[in-house]
Amino acid sequence: MSNENMKFLIVDDFSTMRRIVRNILKEIGFGNAEEAEDGQAALSKLKGGNFNFVVSDINMPNMNGFELLKSIRADNELKGLPVLMVTAEARKEDIVSAAQWGASGYIVKPFTKATLEEKVQKILDKQAK
Amino acid sequence: MSGRAPIMKEDDALYANVGRLTRQLHDALRELGYDRDLESAVGSLPDARSRLSYISRLTGEAAEKVLNGVDETKLELAKLSTGAIEMAEALRSDPVSAVASGKLMGFLGEVGQSASRADAQLTDIMLAQDFHDLTGQVIRKVVTLAQSLETQLVQLLIASTPNDDADSAVASAQLIAPVAVSADTTAQCPSTDNLDGPVVSADGRSDVVTDQAQVDNLLESLGF
Repeated sequence: MSNENMKFLIVDDFSTMRRIVRNILKEIGFGNAEEAEDGQAALSKLKGGNFNFVVSDINMPNMNGFELLKSIRADNELKGLPVLMVTAEARKEDIVSAAQWGASGYIVKPFTKATLEEKVQKILDKQAK
Repeated sequence: MSGRAPIMKEDDALYANVGRLTRQLHDALRELGYDRDLESAVGSLPDARSRLSYISRLTGEAAEKVLNGVDETKLELAKLSTGAIEMAEALRSDPVSAVASGKLMGFLGEVGQSASRADAQLTDIMLAQDFHDLTGQVIRKVVTLAQSLETQLVQLLIASTPNDDADSAVASAQLIAPVAVSADTTAQCPSTDNLDGPVVSADGRSDVVTDQAQVDNLLESLGF
């Protein structure tokens, strides 16, 4: 699948951050993206939404990023989706937990365009193997 | 001298009374457990102070980044504008020479490079807006702290108010409470309480990472 056709879901409770991630994804060639303001909204969009990649914050109301990640991994339809965590949570225990629950990558905020590009590409390369 | 002695005696009695009342209030507060509440409320203030300092620092840095980016982008645009005027003049006066000397191609190359630099500056300006997310998370924590402090002070006010005035104290507390509740945006998500949000100060902390390289190293050490 070409980059342009890949459908991303950006999950963050701050609209500014969703916009930043969306713009960077567009700059690096992934122009097809939708947004959700928390895990709960993300999960209902993901069901039947034909998404190929999730970029999610962790600290969100209603359903946080960890809960979203666990729900995705527990769902037969969604469990294979790459989930990249982009978060301000910098405790080592949170990073380890995210990895154990099946996160595909972990970026701490503030981040650069190069970091996001590198992690997305790394996940896609791994998936293609 | 003889006229001052009774006044001093009255003062002494007054001070003794104030002292006794203070002791009684202190004992009552301790009995009710409010001394611990107050202690924890006061203990939360340095945390709120450091969070507010973090917000101030981050917003300042973001403003600097944006202003620097705008300055540099404006310089690029000014250079382009001047170059375009000179190029137009060169083409008007001697188009063959302008092309043959490579001036036109040189200018077009500069336009491309300049546009790339301006684009990179605009990306930096966009990324600088991440302060909204990072400070927003910290502000939520400060709002929660302020609410907890307020609740404890209101409880103290009610507990230390004489019975006759208790009703008005409760009424005042009820007037204050709705404001606090409406300002709390995290109360509906208890699981978020376990999350720290942005690291306000990493000094002396070994349980947090401070950059992306440390995240990558940690994950790599775990085999991810």
